[in-house]
Amino acid sequence: MFFQQLINGLMLGAAYTLITMALSLVVGVLGVFNIAVADVFMVAAFVGLTLSRLGLPVPIILVAAMVAGGLVSLVIERFGYRPLRHAHGVMPLLSTLGFAMILQNSAANIWGAAPSRFPDHLFAFKRQLGPVLIASTQVWILAVVIVLVLALTWVVGRTRLGRQMRAVAENPAAAVVLGVDITGVQRLTFFLSGLLAGAAGLLVGLNYGIITPYIGLEIGMKAIAVLVLGGVASLWGALVAGPILGVAQVMTAAYLSNSYQDIVIWGILLLVLILRPQGLFGRAVAVGRRI
Amino acid sequence: MVALALALTGCGGSQPAAKTAEPAKAAATAGAASLPGTIKIGAILPITGPEAEHGKSNTYLLKMLEKEVNDAGGINGAKLQVIIYDTGWKADQAGNLIRRLAQDDKVLAIAGPLSSFEAEVAFKAAVKEEIVAASYASSKPGLSKENRPWVFRNTLDEGMTAAPMVEKFVKKVQPKSVAIIHDAKDAISTAIGKAILPPLFEKAGVKVVNKDNPITFQTGDIDLQAQVTKLKSLNPDGIIFGAFQEPAQPVLNEMKRQNMTVPTIGGTPLISTEILKPAPDIPLWANATYFFGMDKGRAKAWSDKAKKIYVENNHKSDPDMFDVNLYELVEMYIDAIKKGGVTNKPEDLKADRVKIRDYMAKLKDFQGISGRVGFNADGDGDKAFYVVVGHKGKWQVED
Repeated sequence: MFFQQLINGLMLGAAYTLITMALSLVVGVLGVFNIAVADVFMVAAFVGLTLSRLGLPVPIILVAAMVAGGLVSLVIERFGYRPLRHAHGVMPLLSTLGFAMILQNSAANIWGAAPSRFPDHLFAFKRQLGPVLIASTQVWILAVVIVLVLALTWVVGRTRLGRQMRAVAENPAAAVVLGVDITGVQRLTFFLSGLLAGAAGLLVGLNYGIITPYIGLEIGMKAIAVLVLGGVASLWGALVAGPILGVAQVMTAAYLSNSYQDIVIWGILLLVLILRPQGLFGRAVAVGRRI
Repeated sequence: MVALALALTGCGGSQPAAKTAEPAKAAATAGAASLPGTIKIGAILPITGPEAEHGKSNTYLLKMLEKEVNDAGGINGAKLQVIIYDTGWKADQAGNLIRRLAQDDKVLAIAGPLSSFEAEVAFKAAVKEEIVAASYASSKPGLSKENRPWVFRNTLDEGMTAAPMVEKFVKKVQPKSVAIIHDAKDAISTAIGKAILPPLFEKAGVKVVNKDNPITFQTGDIDLQAQVTKLKSLNPDGIIFGAFQEPAQPVLNEMKRQNMTVPTIGGTPLISTEILKPAPDIPLWANATYFFGMDKGRAKAWSDKAKKIYVENNHKSDPDMFDVNLYELVEMYIDAIKKGGVTNKPEDLKADRVKIRDYMAKLKDFQGISGRVGFNADGDGDKAFYVVVGHKGKWQVED
């Protein structure tokens, strides 16, 4: 059972990694917690579900879910963040929280509040490897997470957009003086975040085979814990912290009790905040400036 | 919060409680004195939240009842308004809405709430307000008894119906061991998983392998890989499954993904058509007073009508037992108003509520949708039930 639980935890952790990167991108560049990212993830999962029921292949569904996530994220940027970007830090947070509620209720009205299942054919391929049962969807998840993490690293570290994002993250006023289009960077940051959240949504859907309009909140909250654990100054932090929390959560359910999961996860978060506030991989820099 | 007001009308009269016809039709046979004003009945349903699909279908079917009663001509000349509020599947909200319906809306009686954990709060409020409230899904043992004389449940006490189900399960499946998994967030699911079914299996000589450490999950969880992996590792011959049908679906889905097809036994909260879809190869055992496809009593005709309403409202799934229980409750209230001497005068509100309470307490032979309905001394439903097995997408009565 241990090795199967380890795989379960790693898969969960991979999903945490992606959604944490979606969250941390906006936190890092713009210094705001976009709480709605969790529900962008949920909407993208439902878009993926709808397309999967049409029999489309997984790569196309993945791209569509990512684009859907990106577009919803752009709407949030335009109406939930941009009008409030100069307001007190809590205002954009509350605004995105409002968007989260709207998205959740809209999804419940469109797709129903009951659990919705992905088509069975997506899960047909399973292989028993010794003590571990591996599904093709799990291979997909791992591959996509690795590709997206590498892609994001490249975008942030090697492209003009990445340089602009880092400039805005470092000092928005100076970035303007240097000719950076702040609004454009904000828009693209939200869009990239939405792409990642969209991918995470579909992958979580494929991992579990079933989704509800309420999955965003729970997984989104865990993403905050991953963000803190990984470290706010490290892009790679989420890649390691996601699996750590995923495995911790699964092992708690497996060897202790499901009712202790939240105690373990949030206990780890508190310990990190007290003992190493910059996170496992972070440098001691101001919170809110990541990438 | 969503609030809907439905106008339901019918006309009253008909004979004493014994074996009435459908109340909506019986209403037309009236003969009683005309009632003044508008008769108000309350309903508290989970129209939003994780159980919203129940709340929505419940609402559609109350509208169907409205149409039927309206077409039949009203209740002794009075218009009936059913005021529906959304509990959001929250216990505190359910309690607040009982008070609101009793104090502000001045309804005669209240149908709902859905679940035991909502009822635990709502029933206390109903007793305090001295108004009839009746749940249509709660089956946690003792909940009505604790709240005499104002509270009823058009459901069977899970503790009373479990024994014959377990007996048939043991006889047919012949398990040597069973393992428990239950939803720790819900009262009746926990009761089924921890208190009701395990002792019955032990009494039948079946080992409950994780009696002291049941596997748990919570309503809304979709990450159930860890729990199901653990369940599988226990290698049981049967599974005790305490859950409502919606939270149960991700568990069954994960069981299928992990190639588990072990016979699984729960209770009335499992009954629905939707639950048979995630893992049709897993035999699901439950108790039911109604299931879609049933042809006893008024069930077939009612199911056809209700299904049509589902389709019209683009509501997936099929009418279920909880739809029936709620529908029957409002029918009973209509019957009580017609036969119980309710005057519907503002100054008689308190007395009218007592009359409805007394009518309900004495009810023994109401002709419900799936057969005779009455209430026992504890206020719990006294009605025929069936041990059913869901397999390959269909529920069937287990002989």
